[in-house]
Amino acid sequence: MSDMTEPGALDELPGDLMMWVLIVSELLVFGAGLAAFMAVRLTDPAGFAAAQDALHRTGAGINTVVLVTSGFLAAIAGPLLAGGQLLRARAALVAAAALGVLFLVIKGAEYADKAERGIAWDTHPFYTFYYLLTGFHAAHVVAGVLILLLVAWKANARNIEVGSAFWHMVDLIWVLLFPVIYLLR
Amino acid sequence: MSDLIRAWATLIALSLGSTALAVSAIPPAWQPAAGAAILILAWAKARVILARYLGLAAAPFWARGFGIALGVFCVVLLVLYLIAITL
Repeated sequence: MSDMTEPGALDELPGDLMMWVLIVSELLVFGAGLAAFMAVRLTDPAGFAAAQDALHRTGAGINTVVLVTSGFLAAIAGPLLAGGQLLRARAALVAAAALGVLFLVIKGAEYADKAERGIAWDTHPFYTFYYLLTGFHAAHVVAGVLILLLVAWKANARNIEVGSAFWHMVDLIWVLLFPVIYLLR
Repeated sequence: MSDLIRAWATLIALSLGSTALAVSAIPPAWQPAAGAAILILAWAKARVILARYLGLAAAPFWARGFGIALGVFCVVLLVLYLIAITL
């Protein structure tokens, strides 16, 4: 009879298995979107480059710094709680959520700038992908901010681990989306 | 905690590096190399987030798997990018 207690590869995964299923699913969805963006770009490289020049690359770079710093604050919440520092853990999660709100404010300013210049989702295929991908990501940021605040309120080791993992997924998607949409010229 | 601080500092440095590359006036002949560098930096950032923020540093099998999958994805993006700039 085989030993049923022998750990398998899945047991190596840190945290909740269902959270990893969600992370892989989201990576596949955004990955398909980014690959489609690059494929459609082949039909009009000059038009895509011109449309991309209307984006504010430095602002998006600042948003990257904001998001990875927010991810850091979410990541330290677990060790802080494990060290018996519940209040600091909660403060780290609330600060992470606040930086998530700052990300949305900068993103909102970016969208407002496009609207002022008469740029809409149907102005060029570049903007269709731009609004779809960054908008869908921003929706995840909104959800992540709410999850971080909820986890800060109901702070325990499992909640913090799962809530932070969701936030790191948002971070992970952004570090792939940012260079493709904003930087590749 | 020090691992997390190092990861954060690395992510900031890589993010600033890729933004600096994108806003610099790169000569056309160096554009493919700049594009490749930007994608390599993105792949490196993703690996840091997976290893340190999401804890895969403690699961080498999965860290390697995610690293390879993301690497293949970045190569696909790079090929599409290189085709586009040669059109």
